[in-house]
Amino acid sequence: MTGATELTDDGLLRRVMAGDEDAFSLLYKRRHPSIYRFALHMSGNASVAEDVTQEVFMTLIRNPQRFDPVRGTLAGFLFGVARNHLRKRWEQDRRLVSLVGDADELGPLASNNGNGNGNGAGIHGMHVNGNGNGDGNGNGHYVVPTTRDEFTSIENVSRVRKAVSTLPENYREVVVLCELEEMSYEETAAALGCPVGTVRSRLHRARAILLEKLRETRPVRRATAVGE
Amino acid sequence: MSENDERMRMDCSQFEEAQDDLDRPGTPGLALREAALAHAEGCSRCAQLMTDTEALDFSLQTLAVRDADLQAPPRVEAALLQELRLQKAAASGRKGQWRMAALGAAALALLALGLSVRHAPVIDGKMIAGGKTNAGNGAADHSVSAADSGAGASSVEVVQNVPSDSQDATAFVSLPYAADPATLEGGTVVRVELSRSALASMGMPVADASATDRIPADIMLSEDGAPQAIRLVSSANLDQ
Repeated sequence: MTGATELTDDGLLRRVMAGDEDAFSLLYKRRHPSIYRFALHMSGNASVAEDVTQEVFMTLIRNPQRFDPVRGTLAGFLFGVARNHLRKRWEQDRRLVSLVGDADELGPLASNNGNGNGNGAGIHGMHVNGNGNGDGNGNGHYVVPTTRDEFTSIENVSRVRKAVSTLPENYREVVVLCELEEMSYEETAAALGCPVGTVRSRLHRARAILLEKLRETRPVRRATAVGE
Repeated sequence: MSENDERMRMDCSQFEEAQDDLDRPGTPGLALREAALAHAEGCSRCAQLMTDTEALDFSLQTLAVRDADLQAPPRVEAALLQELRLQKAAASGRKGQWRMAALGAAALALLALGLSVRHAPVIDGKMIAGGKTNAGNGAADHSVSAADSGAGASSVEVVQNVPSDSQDATAFVSLPYAADPATLEGGTVVRVELSRSALASMGMPVADASATDRIPADIMLSEDGAPQAIRLVSSANLDQ
């Protein structure tokens, strides 16, 4: 399959429609991780995320004509399908909305956090590093974490993960797409089928809620860490 | 205060509105970063908000990095590839069905063409139906007769006691669009009288196709009534 890796999603999809398994594998490997993560963050359940991922790509195999390149990107289409499947599941089983406090359901995410319980530096301790290296593009804030930073990060990631998972659904999906999957407002709006302004306002509100939740769960030693 | 400084002034509400996008590429917030920093320098509340916001950004980015390797288990891809193969097989099956349908339609079209060719010369002729090919030939059990009308309408005659195959006749010759002769078990032989030109149009070797006399012939029909083969019968037999 010469040059297939350089093909666009649309080009790969055309090959998939012709029954090209290699093209499908390539497209799947390219797009499924973000779909899986989205489903995992939205459901908090690895089994659901797996099912949703499978359903999304089953849809692509069975009804590829549902994707209209004129209306948006394939990635946006896949997120939209994933979202619809998640909503169907939520309607079928409202229990999935309740995510927090169930260690089993958060298994894959929790294991990604490691076991660090933090040393009390708090998120503002991390911020000192990030702010000091800020170059304004949002990606250059990091310094290579020291062991202490790593622990801090693990603890805070866990807190942030929990805070994200308890956001209302509409806010959670924009946080997952815009912040965790680093999609633009436009891409997110296409995936969610809403105006860009709605995405922006939801994200603004979601971040405010996150900040509030993180303040509520702030480690005891956080005040000392920022010198307050 | 210079004009530039004036332009860079930002109040707290503007700061709050812009602060989420200060590090986000492709948004107007990025262009407001300098103004936001300038505002935060003189506003402790917004400075704290900026600190918290940047900490949140950092934490979210760290979360994204930590989860970057999360993937669905390989069994999902295996199941999807299996489904793709099934879809492919089903699609080729559908394609085969369409092909069969197209062939069937073509066969029907040929049949219609054949019948029209066959009927054209019989318009004012006489046609006699015979027995089943695998039954005792010549055992036809009914008769329908319609005489030629004055207007030259078609004439069909089915008579009892149609002569058997023992009479003097040539072997059956398959028509161009005929099915496999092996499938003709249970077909019907129909005796007709055709003009020489009609026989010629069916591929029979006929001398002087322009002659107006009629030649008796047996046409073998399949169970669905499609003509499959033809043979010539001597005039003597027809007269029986």
